[in-house]
Amino acid sequence: MGVLKPLAFAALASAGLLAVSGAQAAPVLSSTYADPSQPDISGLWVVTGAMQYAPDRSVPKLLGQYKDLYDKRTKAFKAGIAIDDDTADCLPAGLPHLFIVPYPFEILQTPGRLTFLYEYDSAVRRVPLGVTPPAQPEPDTATFNGDSYGHWEGDTLVIETINIRGDTQLDFTGIPHSDALRITERLHRKDAKTLEDQITLTDPKAYAEPFKTTRLYRTRPKWKISEYVCEENNRNKTDAQGHTRSGVK
Amino acid sequence: MQQSPRQSLWMHLIGLAAVVALGTQPVCAHHSFAMYDNGKQITIEGVVKELQWTNPHVWIQVLVPNAKGGQDEWSVECTSVNFMVRRGFSKTTIKAGDQISVSLTPLKDGSHGGAFKGVNSLNGAPLKLESED
Repeated sequence: MGVLKPLAFAALASAGLLAVSGAQAAPVLSSTYADPSQPDISGLWVVTGAMQYAPDRSVPKLLGQYKDLYDKRTKAFKAGIAIDDDTADCLPAGLPHLFIVPYPFEILQTPGRLTFLYEYDSAVRRVPLGVTPPAQPEPDTATFNGDSYGHWEGDTLVIETINIRGDTQLDFTGIPHSDALRITERLHRKDAKTLEDQITLTDPKAYAEPFKTTRLYRTRPKWKISEYVCEENNRNKTDAQGHTRSGVK
Repeated sequence: MQQSPRQSLWMHLIGLAAVVALGTQPVCAHHSFAMYDNGKQITIEGVVKELQWTNPHVWIQVLVPNAKGGQDEWSVECTSVNFMVRRGFSKTTIKAGDQISVSLTPLKDGSHGGAFKGVNSLNGAPLKLESED
């Protein structure tokens, strides 16, 4: 990719010259520092579209106990009750739910790794480049956000994530997954203002087949990531029945 | 849920329009939105008792006159401090004692609360804010 970078600069330079003569200037990327050896996806991004995991609100083909669990959560949801809603107690959303929370995140690119800094929960995701992921998940080491491994394929950043805890959900409708979940992301800058993530969830324990979704993120050049402390004044803690409180006095 | 005749009229009129107009659920990332009657919108009018300028949610406590001649305390759950700032609000935009008209997505269980949609008026005037979009 080292070859592309000078070309990109040349393109920007000629666009600048064109701007002087009255033509439209090339859009300015909302980039922070980016590793010059990589395509540039750095900057501040925020998700677009529905807060359900999939923009079209589709759901993976759930198997056995996972289907039963989702049916139970859906029935409660329709009755106005949120169950198994750990985020209400300020626990992390975890991956892949973090992909769709409507808060901005910032991507930093430095030599050998990318770092995702999320406003939500002040979560951090570290993505080393060029490290081969383990062939199988190791559930004993599972965490909310799992372990991510990245590499570039042309202008696309491919990230594999495994070792994700089995008790988090895809979104607030309560779609479950198991600790066998493997997430494959293909991230690329669709245009100057848009980052596209093609996401595949592979979970042989919970899903009959891989579940594919595309999410789009847009730049917000005027925004900055701010502090977010969930424990400050949480009126939505779950009650004795495990239901999320409304916070009404 | 106790409602003043005025509030009931508002809820009826706005509720009908809101079902068509609202395609999205409240922007709330910290907990499930199962508790809200998504797609519905109501308006309450009253006096601000307290503004809690906090995370994970900003809360507006509003005292709303009821049919019994008393008042009910409504809890209006907003987004996080960061998102309120991005919409142009500050810690002092809404203060205790202000007369306020607020739109919200009501709770399904009918208790006095809901998810904040917007301020219709503050002390009788429209609220003009500059968002960071």
